[in-house]
Amino acid sequence: MQINFTRYLVLLGFSLALLASAQGAPQSGGDFSSNPDAKKLPTNTILVKGAWSSASDSATPLPETGKVAQNVYTNPYFGLTYSFSPDWTEKYSGPPPSDSGYYVLAQIRPANTSKGTSRGSILITAQDLFFTLTPATSALELVNFTTANLSTDYQVEQPPAEVRIAGHSFVRFSYVSPVAQLHWTVLATQIRCHAVQFVVTSRETNLIETVIQEMNRMSLPNDANPTSGMGGSDLPVCIKDYVTGENVTERVDPILTERRFNPVPVRIVIDKEGKVKHIHFLSAFPEQAAVVTDALWQWRFKPYILDGHPVEVETGIMFGRPPRATTPRTTRVATE
Amino acid sequence: MKIVKLGLILAILAAFIVPAIVRAQSDPGVRPGAINGQSGATATNPLPLPSVLQNNPAGSLEFFQNGLTRFQAVESVSNSPTGNNGLGPRFNLNQCSGCHSQPSIGGSSPASNLEFQVIANGVVSGSTNSIPSFLSSNGPTREARFPFFFNSNGSPNTNAPNGGVEDLFTVSGRSDAGNCSLPQPSFSTAQQTNNIIFRIPTPVFGAGLIENIDDSTLLANHSAQASNNFGIGGTFNHNGNDGTIARFGWKAQNKSLVLFSGEAYNVEMGISNEIFGQDRPLPGEDQLGSGLPSSCLNLSGTGYPEDITNFSPTVSSSDSFAQNASINSDVVAFAEFMRMLAPPIPSSTTPGGATSISNGRALFNSIGCATCHTPTINSTQPSNITSSLGRSPVSAFSDIEIHHMGTGLTDNVSQGGAGGDQFRTAPLWGLGQRIFFLHDGRTSNLLSAIEAHQSSGSEATQVEENFDALSPSQQQDLLNFLRSL
Repeated sequence: MQINFTRYLVLLGFSLALLASAQGAPQSGGDFSSNPDAKKLPTNTILVKGAWSSASDSATPLPETGKVAQNVYTNPYFGLTYSFSPDWTEKYSGPPPSDSGYYVLAQIRPANTSKGTSRGSILITAQDLFFTLTPATSALELVNFTTANLSTDYQVEQPPAEVRIAGHSFVRFSYVSPVAQLHWTVLATQIRCHAVQFVVTSRETNLIETVIQEMNRMSLPNDANPTSGMGGSDLPVCIKDYVTGENVTERVDPILTERRFNPVPVRIVIDKEGKVKHIHFLSAFPEQAAVVTDALWQWRFKPYILDGHPVEVETGIMFGRPPRATTPRTTRVATE
Repeated sequence: MKIVKLGLILAILAAFIVPAIVRAQSDPGVRPGAINGQSGATATNPLPLPSVLQNNPAGSLEFFQNGLTRFQAVESVSNSPTGNNGLGPRFNLNQCSGCHSQPSIGGSSPASNLEFQVIANGVVSGSTNSIPSFLSSNGPTREARFPFFFNSNGSPNTNAPNGGVEDLFTVSGRSDAGNCSLPQPSFSTAQQTNNIIFRIPTPVFGAGLIENIDDSTLLANHSAQASNNFGIGGTFNHNGNDGTIARFGWKAQNKSLVLFSGEAYNVEMGISNEIFGQDRPLPGEDQLGSGLPSSCLNLSGTGYPEDITNFSPTVSSSDSFAQNASINSDVVAFAEFMRMLAPPIPSSTTPGGATSISNGRALFNSIGCATCHTPTINSTQPSNITSSLGRSPVSAFSDIEIHHMGTGLTDNVSQGGAGGDQFRTAPLWGLGQRIFFLHDGRTSNLLSAIEAHQSSGSEATQVEENFDALSPSQQQDLLNFLRSL
């Protein structure tokens, strides 16, 4: 028996030697070396990022830093807390913000979803109204635009109308795809110059209604409103295109040395004295963010006065490529 | 006893019925029938655009055929009887059509992998090359890249991004390669450390139509999709020279078909040309300051570039167009072939019948696939090359944008403005007759490819969620539609 075992060991060794000789080309070429104890890269991890979001500090909340824990979505930036059904969950987090200011804040679905059995989903998004490609200046206008340009694949079930959710005003819009037998209901409001949208999708309209009922447990900032959510109170007031004319008293333009051709949308918070307090890059390459940050710290603004008092201001600036003109849907070129 | 019998019956039912339910929808597989849906096309003779088929403008058909012939040429290092020299010193294969051949020349990975057969076919020496373990006889043709350079201890150095192509084979040991001695990269080390990713060939049918879409049309489409309710953003990769929208390659890193040809000729086959004028060392060999050894340079004996414009072609034909076409360098001839290659024609009935395909098309639009896979973009740009290219609908099912595809698909290779997780929306025309899917050919199952769109950080997660919300028969309709393309 022992002899047999030894024979197997010899055979195994011989086989391994053969295998090794099959891979026997020299290993010392260009950028590699051979070490069985070499450290492995993590799998399913994004290590090489292109243009991405970043900020000048990690303490100030950002739109994209909301989290799902247990069955509660909390977003300190938007002052939003949303407790959803305990048997729903977030399996996958969203992508980084787009360079036109579009955020996927959370994607929630029933925890027991398996392939082909999804009962529904809740997609929470935000569109920064400073950078949107859609001709809309408020959440209401954004929903109205979506409605007016709805593809012929859908039918409107409920046109946009104001509803109250958790004591706050929302615009509600519902549509259906007859062929897919899927229903969508969009609930939108505006917070800090973002259109915050809850998109509920399901085959079951009663499930959608249940989800909407449960949204009454949500807490939102006082100013949340489809037309006028502009921050204020203990938050900065958001003002589009504040970085113009005599509002800027000192300006040092960043020198971007590399030609990247990408838009670099930036939100800044200006303190009561007119200094930049916080910088948030929605999308920028690291070297772009570094150069723009260095420049923005040197900018000075006229303090913004509201009701006789200076207040903090939040505004947007586009670096890199100039902002594109929004394109009315009537010129849409994609056809089916 | 009755309980035992009942249990047995239930077990049998479970064994047969449950899998049937689970597999109620399935990928119909490669669509049979006419190649590219085109009457008259064969595996070796794909059709040109309609205007080129009519030889309009005069000579265009000759240029197309000339490019097609060169696309099939087998390249040697130095002693080709037909003068097709310059292969190597490193390469992935010795023939464009060796990789771009499903369902016909100009397509993607074929069923039988010629890379796997390079030793058996005498393309490389088995004493100096081995077949990497990630190749198989019926797997996809692949190129390999190491996302990061290695430290001296063999660990990937995440502070040193690489991402360049690590050619699979060397000419060392070939009778026409002199004393050139080069090792293959250590693919086994790269695999052990997860520092390797793969790419499969992109099909080039209809590529001229994509090339001719004006930027303003793409930008308008981007804006039009901005109010989607699917969580989709998207942006464009730009050419580093002129800032216009780049559009070819898995990350839309290449601006034009000439550039695409030149890069592939140099990187995949090791042939220097008028765009990439030097033999290419591996990324590490170049950046560590060593480059290629002198014994591996100018192996063709022709000097550089190895592929050039033929100033004085010797053509036996008296046809002046044939003489004109032979003046082109190979990379220009390849580009002409790809530019004039007709797009696939979808089937209205196969698989699953007309009603299923029609439903699938409507579902594709409804659940959000069409937001990125834009069915048709109407190019508004006239063409100075041939009438079929100008002001034409481009039914590529792509917005030509790059999108974040999440942790499940990231390859950690940056190209131009595209980060490690960003990919061009893959054009879907011709999908019905492709064998391998996704950038690395990881699956031949269309259902698996759809599911791979969902992961953390992906813009397509919600759309995949909507797909999951469809009934099995609706999902089947959608799969049938995709295989009809």
